[in-house]
Formats: sequence, C-alpha cells, structure tokens
Amino acid sequence: MAKHLLFLASIIILSSLYPTPDAQAIPAFARKYNVNCTVCHTRAPRLNRTGERFLENGYQLPGTEDGGTTKKFRLGDLTLDDVTNYLGFRLRGNALRTVDYARHASGTNIDGNPEDRTEFGFPEVFSLFAAGTVTNNVGFFAEVESNLEEDETGVERAFLTFNNIGQHDWAHLRIGKLDPSAYSSYATLRQQFELVGDNSVDNGSFMLPTINRIGLTPAAFASKFHGLFDQSGTAILPTAPSLFHAVAEMGLDIHGRPFGDWFLYQVGILNGANEPFGDSNNPKDWYVMTRFDFAQSDYLSANFSGFAYFGSNNAKVSTMADVNWSRYGFATNVRYYMVDFYAAFVVDHVANLPNSFKHTFDETATGLTVEANVLATDRLLFGIRFDHLDAGGLRTQRTSNSLLALIAKFYVRSNIALFLRDDINLRPAQGGRTPERNFRNAFFVGADVAF
Amino acid sequence: MPFSWAPMWRFRQPLQLKHVMLYGGVMAYLACSLPVWALAASPPNHDESVARGKALYEQACLLCHGVTGEGNGPDAFYLGAYSAPRPRDFTGAEFKFRSTASGELPTNADLFQTITRGIPGFMPAFLGLSEADRWDIVRYVQSFSTLYQEAGRTPIALPPGPLPATPESVTRGREVYVLLDCAKCHGPQATQPGSLFAQGELRDRRDLPILPPDLSQLSSFKNGHRPQDIAQSILTGLDGTPMASFRETLSAQPEDIWHLVNYLLSLSRSP
Repeated sequence: MAKHLLFLASIIILSSLYPTPDAQAIPAFARKYNVNCTVCHTRAPRLNRTGERFLENGYQLPGTEDGGTTKKFRLGDLTLDDVTNYLGFRLRGNALRTVDYARHASGTNIDGNPEDRTEFGFPEVFSLFAAGTVTNNVGFFAEVESNLEEDETGVERAFLTFNNIGQHDWAHLRIGKLDPSAYSSYATLRQQFELVGDNSVDNGSFMLPTINRIGLTPAAFASKFHGLFDQSGTAILPTAPSLFHAVAEMGLDIHGRPFGDWFLYQVGILNGANEPFGDSNNPKDWYVMTRFDFAQSDYLSANFSGFAYFGSNNAKVSTMADVNWSRYGFATNVRYYMVDFYAAFVVDHVANLPNSFKHTFDETATGLTVEANVLATDRLLFGIRFDHLDAGGLRTQRTSNSLLALIAKFYVRSNIALFLRDDINLRPAQGGRTPERNFRNAFFVGADVAF
Repeated sequence: MPFSWAPMWRFRQPLQLKHVMLYGGVMAYLACSLPVWALAASPPNHDESVARGKALYEQACLLCHGVTGEGNGPDAFYLGAYSAPRPRDFTGAEFKFRSTASGELPTNADLFQTITRGIPGFMPAFLGLSEADRWDIVRYVQSFSTLYQEAGRTPIALPPGPLPATPESVTRGREVYVLLDCAKCHGPQATQPGSLFAQGELRDRRDLPILPPDLSQLSSFKNGHRPQDIAQSILTGLDGTPMASFRETLSAQPEDIWHLVNYLLSLSRSP
C-alpha cells in the first residue's frame, strides 16, 4: 500500500507543479497542440481517424513530421518541450460494483461458489503517461501504472518510435514494451468498456487456478483456453487479453501506409509467452496485420483489418510441455455520424500438444466481440457490447459463454467521464465449477479522468 | 470443436531473433536507399502547387474538412456533435477568420495564418509543415470554390492603435461593450452566455447552437489574442456565426475599438 500512496503523492505533486495553460483541453497532447480532446478522440479513450493517424505517425500531426517544432524551443542542438507538453495522467475505476452469481457461498468465499458482493473500489488504476517526440520522427511513450486491485505498480507500456523511414508514411518502427493491436480496427486499449480483470485464486505452479469470477474483457481478445500456463508455470486465465491483443509485450514492429491512406501494413516480433521481461524460451512470436480503410466520405469512415499471430513455444500445458499458441482473425470499424461500430472475430489454435492431451484438450477456440457506441448528446454516450466465447482447452473445464454489456457515459468535460455499466450473462447457469456460467451480473458505477 | 485450423506457417526450426534482425536490416537498407523522388526540384507552378496541396490536404486536413471541402469529414461530427463549431466549409463564402470585410472571402494570407496558427481548441497549428507546404494547401483550399477566381480581396484598415491600456481606456471600453449591446450574447460580465443564448437564438449556418465564449479566457479568441487580432474580429465579424461586423457602428469613433479591446483583455488579467 505504501508504494501506491507514494505513487499517488508523486502524481499529485507533479500535477500541482505544472499549471494548465489557457487552452480548453487538459491532457498532454491537447496541451501541446492547444486543442480539445475531440480533435483526436470520438470520446476518450476511442480515437477518431485523426487520432489514429497521429498515433501511427509517432505522435506527430497527420501529414507532418513536426516532432522538432511545435511548441518546442531550441537549446544548442536540442529541441526541447515543456514537461507539460508530454506528461499526462489518468485516474479510473469503479467506485461501486455489485456482482451476482447463480450459486452462492454460505458465509465465506469458497471455490466456485463466490458470494454476491457489493463493494467500493475507486480508484482502481492510476496511470502516468509521458509521450511525445524527441525530435523529428523520433517519438517515445511510457506508461507507469499502479493497479490497486491487482496490487501491482510498474511499467505498463514503454517504447520508442522511429517514424517515416525512407519516405513519409512508408515505415514506422516501434521498439519496446508495446501493444500489438494498436493500429487494428479494434484495438485492445481503445474501447469504452474498461478491461475488468478476473477474480481468481492461484493454486500453485502448473496447477489450475480457482476462478471465482471471469474477467470482463472482449471475448475476441481473450486467451480462451483452460489449462495453459506461461513459462514460469503461472496459469494463463481464459479471459485475459493475450497474443496480438496483449496489453503489452516486449518486441518491435513496423507499420506504414506506403500506397496511400487506404492500406496499412504491420509486422512485428515479440518475446511472447506472457513474460514480463526477457525471453526464457528464446523462440519468438511474430505477427502480421493489414488494414484497409475505405468509405471515407461525409461523416462516414470504415475499415477492415485481418491479422495472423504465430506463437512459438509460447505456452505450456500442465506437463510443462511447450505448445505453439497462434491466433488469426479480423476486425472492422464503421463510423457514421453518431454511431461508432466495431467488431472482431478471432480463432485461437494450440499446436504441438503432447499426445496425452489429444483427447482431453480442445485445441481450437473462438471469440466474437461486437460493440457499438452512440453519442446521444455532446456529453452523453451509450454503448453496448456482445461477447461470445467458445472456449478451448481442458474439456473438463471449458465451456462457452455469452455476455451482454451496457454502458452509459456522461462526459462532464471531454476528459472527465462518469459511467454506469452493467454486464449480463446471457447463458443459463449450470452446476459444477463453471465460472463462465456461475457469473450472472455485474453492475459498476465509476469515473475515468485524464489530466 | 467441429473443426481444426492448423497454423498457416511452420518453420523447420523456431524463429530466432538473429534471423529477423538480419532480414529486417536488409529490408530497411533497401527502403532507405531508394531515391527520394518527392524532393526533386521543380519550378513554382500554380497547378503543381495545387496538386501538392491536394496530397497534403488528404493527409492533414481531409479527416475534418472532408473530401469535398464542405467540412463534413469523417471526424467532423465528433468535433461538434450537436453544437458548433464544425469544420469550415471551403465551398461557401463564409469564413470566420478574415482581415476582409464581412461577406468577403479571406485573403491568401488569412488562410495561411489560420493553417499556421491553428484555432485554439479545435485545430492544431500546422507548424510542422514547411511554409511552401502551407501555401500549397492554401491554393488547394481555394480550388474548392470558384469565388476565388474573382477580384482580389483587400484587408480592411484598422484605426491607428492599439492604445495604451490605461484605466480610463478600460472604463471607456466597458462603456462601449454596453453601448454595442455585447451582453446580449456574451453576458453582462462577458464571462457567461447572454440572453440570446438562453432563448436558443444563437446558431451557426448549420443551425447548430453556439455557446458564446467566456471572454476572460484568452483561448476564447480563436483568431488570436493580440489587440490587433481582437480588433479585427470585432470589425470584420465572424461570418457564418451570429457575431456581426461592428465596422459601421464604430466608424464614428474609430478609437473606441481599441478601448473595447483593452476592456476585453483586462478581463483575463483580473484576479
């Protein structure tokens, strides 16, 4: 707890040291460019097309290579930014959450039969961002996150970018701890429904965990398998975002639009294997993604992307044997006036299973996520998301589930959102330890603030 | 599961980082060593400038201002979902930020200035583009309307000034604010919307409601907050919005514009 308090105190001190300028906008890029959040976001954290191009271009305005100029001053051979132009802060969490289950515990929280619970939880996550450009076509991004629920503080993402290699928009290189799906039609970290982690108990190395509540994450991005472990023997939970949709993995990738705005490519290579640092198994995972942008006309834009992620010895089963866990899929995004629609369908496959698992382990799993957001007024956004997970892995554990999530967000300002959210299990409850079916409903009241 | 999907690609050996670095290095070298055709020198030519401007516009401007320049780009709705402002319509004759009289098109320099300085809150300054690039965009923006082919556009002359911001000047400026009935839109203290906003009468040419800005904030002066910028906005008006030109009204006592400007700027200096 002491480190959390220290982290919070340092953020408050830093925030108070740097008064906001006379711009309407607050967060770092908005301060630098003197614009509202809505120049780059439909509503935060979703990016609009301008925001996507800004991200692709290494935190430089679309069409420009302004990393050494805008709002910077020269000191010898350096171009420097005021710290306020690259420092941002985000505070978010569910102030109140109520979770209901089909099968209840009597008194204490026991395996598979958790008790209904209503609790206060704000704030769950503090994030400190530093992002911008060192000079023309050299950018950086670092995010330090303190997650109170998971009792973790550390570097969530951090990478350098080298942009416009060769010609403008031909190739942009990222290297570091990065989010692979950032440029696809449906990025893991760009959605109106925050990722809600699972509630589980670790039963030891290469032992199946006890999952009390499944994580509330897009089914398409989830791990999908019961019975997979990382290199250290920690269970990979079936609803945790992973592979191409990992929140962050170490590696490098290259993307660009060499043929114009209609086509984007991305290829990357990662340590993979859900390892926080290094690569104990040595083989690498790699991925390729292509995105086609079309229908760019009055108040309308659409795109479609497909990807393949090839894992190499990136997971283990309970016998400690390595398997190759790969992922293929596609996603789309259509925006028309106030409607922002996005969806992804993903197939996961585990290869190189030991023979002893051939009949007990379902080696293929699928996930479908469909989401739509509607901006009803300047300040009120409604969202709906449907998830269907056809899980794989150990046949004694796996089951399918379908969830419907609803959200209403009220933006006090474009950088301050208050929300109500409800996640509903659409499938009937069933006996046994099946957390996917035991979970019935979760209701959240929360806030998301960026400074 | 009813079907199985084997990996599309198999290596005889697990992929090693050294292999990727080798192949990646070769590809990067090839990419960097290709000729830089776009930098080839070319003589100034209007058509070529428009063509270059089009290419730049499609990367830097189209997402807000749209393919047709009507201000309906894919991101335009989210800038002003249900209230003004939306991005400028280049096909019409209504431009807010001009040095020309109300109803006239902006000068080339006006357009260049807007691209260079941006619009606080709504459009970033495109300082990352070279001057030549920004001029190319100006020429392409002008190609959206045939009106630009007509006679040249002349900036209005500002009265001699600005005047020193003495207490007397600020007091006179406040009197001018009241005389011009600015409070109807900007409120009695210039910080809260006035009665016309409450009545729903302040709308732009798209019929979107406009919230009059808090004039005690310098960022509210979208066309810049130098005394000359503010004076220009008052005298030319902001076409396409309810902000009218006060050029005729102030013609009898032209120095009043500077008193009014001093009053407005004093609001941002007030504790």
